[in-house]
Amino acid sequence: MAEGTGRGEMLSIWFFVGVMTLAYGLVLFPYGAWEWFGGHEAATVLNRLHPTFWWGLMLTIFGLFYVLRFRPRRGDKFRA
Amino acid sequence: MNPQPVGLALVRASHQLTNLAPVDILILALYFGVVIFVGFYVKGSTNTSEEFFLAGREMTAWIAGLSFVSANLGSLELMGWAGSAYQYGILATHWYWIGAIPAMLFLGIVMMPFYYISKTHSVPGYLQLRFGEGARGLSAASFAGMTILMSGVNMYAMAVVMRTVLGWNMTVSIWVGAATVAVYVMLGGLRSAIINEVLQFVLIWAGAALIPILGLIEAGGWTNLKAQIAINVGSTQYTHMWSTLGNFKDNPMGVNWVGIVFGLGAIISMGYWTTDFLVVQRVLSANNLRAAKMAPVIGAAFKMAVPLIVILPGLLALGLITNGHPAYHLVPADIAKHTGQNSYDQVLPLMLIRYCGPGLLGLGITALVAGFMSGMAGNVSAFSTVWTYDLYGAYINKKAADKHYVFMGRLSTVVGMLISIATAYLVMNAASIMDYVQALFSFFIAPLFGTVILGMLWKRATNWGGFLGLLAGTASSIGMFIYTSTGSVEHKAHALARIALSPYAQPQAENIFRALWSWLICVTVTVVVSLVTKGKTDEELNGLVYGATVIPHDGATTLWQKPIFWAGVVSVVFIALNIIFF
Repeated sequence: MAEGTGRGEMLSIWFFVGVMTLAYGLVLFPYGAWEWFGGHEAATVLNRLHPTFWWGLMLTIFGLFYVLRFRPRRGDKFRA
Repeated sequence: MNPQPVGLALVRASHQLTNLAPVDILILALYFGVVIFVGFYVKGSTNTSEEFFLAGREMTAWIAGLSFVSANLGSLELMGWAGSAYQYGILATHWYWIGAIPAMLFLGIVMMPFYYISKTHSVPGYLQLRFGEGARGLSAASFAGMTILMSGVNMYAMAVVMRTVLGWNMTVSIWVGAATVAVYVMLGGLRSAIINEVLQFVLIWAGAALIPILGLIEAGGWTNLKAQIAINVGSTQYTHMWSTLGNFKDNPMGVNWVGIVFGLGAIISMGYWTTDFLVVQRVLSANNLRAAKMAPVIGAAFKMAVPLIVILPGLLALGLITNGHPAYHLVPADIAKHTGQNSYDQVLPLMLIRYCGPGLLGLGITALVAGFMSGMAGNVSAFSTVWTYDLYGAYINKKAADKHYVFMGRLSTVVGMLISIATAYLVMNAASIMDYVQALFSFFIAPLFGTVILGMLWKRATNWGGFLGLLAGTASSIGMFIYTSTGSVEHKAHALARIALSPYAQPQAENIFRALWSWLICVTVTVVVSLVTKGKTDEELNGLVYGATVIPHDGATTLWQKPIFWAGVVSVVFIALNIIFF
């Protein structure tokens, strides 16, 4: 059932959470990879830990889980 | 609880702190795209007044709980309390723990059943059912006015932060932020605001959690950080929550344990979390009684973790060392204004810039923008509800069709945003107004808690008692504020010492003790007047007061489903945390 967005809607609020974090992960993860492996790391403190890469990867996994877990399924509109 | 800390005054620095890269702009644009889409997406589910103002009362405990805690997690507060942590040390955590957790649990377990089963649409609406029109009118008018002014302050603060951090034009920030919020709240009402608050909650953690993680790595762990803070400030007072509260002069905040426990924990936070309609409205959207009781408990569990992203960055700025010297030397806002140094309030953006390069910086800035916009949306959605139900519907047009009230809700959202914009420009031209607007909330919150709690727990409280108690408490709070904030410097110091009962008290103590006195005055007047006026019968009080109400079972069948069990778990963690950081 589509939690939070209203009776009769198909997209759950958690699906939006997943889409947003996945989108951010998909921006940050490759950008962090480009920084790390291309030698373009920003001049920040502890940049040797490559935070953009790892944070982007974590957001991608988190977002992907929520998108898949709460993706709209056939029949949701009628159950909601 | 966390109305803004005393002394929060954003500074318009002469230099910007950083620039956004294209990848940061992309992240910011994605956020704007999602929130506008949400507004249009849920518009079809906001056709009745119940749907527009209370999200159809169909939110689960998790959604209502996250929205409840997120409505209070605005950027103005995040930046202000991070600055307070730099200024006062770990004592600022009291505003997140004892100043929030007991009140949130009390709301869920004790008060929510009455708000929920009375089917009220608002806190002023409950006052009308319990104490009649006088108390409702006073509370609704003050709340509507204050809420919309606060939305304007949020708007101004966002514009200042964007200008200070990124060099953005303030007018563009104000109008883009206001237009976006107006569109999504006007279209989707409370439902839209709640969805965006949940998104904002996730975003704030995604954008800010790296600061404490990387900060602790740089500092070499919590123990090392404490040692470095002690070296940098020359005192161990900054990393203890309770052991320095025996006397006003033993801690950097100039408060004592009486003020923290009774003023902050028992009055200010109870007032804010249980009677401020901005947060209570989120819980009223719950889909059943058990969800309504669980939502504040879930909110409390998350609230306990917020110091990680607010207080810890302030402490890190206090303790980090660069080339053998303290990494930061921040100053009060009034000094920063003249010297061009960075002020306390800038600690969060400074820490963000320290650890976050392109991409992550955009995420952090987006989290701040989301926090500001969510603050505006929360204020304006609560304003439109109270205006439509408790002012327009109660005194101007009592018998309109439901559709008309939905139209009025949408219209008042737009008008509310326009008033907020006007307030933002007013504050831009006279920054001291911001301090007064922030103080206005404190006038009403403590006395209102006195009125509501007596109304719920004491059958004998009467209409006149409730109204006159609220009036006396509010008037006394305003009187004390004028007494302590006008006149010569000597007079102010003398007044503060009288209100807070100590010559060593500092401004934060004034806020706490003023709340305590105004609550006591409200309760005393309510009790005295009630005893000499005619009360209501048990039948009239059914569903509104303990002792006259049979509270329905919340439907929990197992221990895991019981809100009281989870409130117990949260309480144990809360006590353990206070002992660990004693």
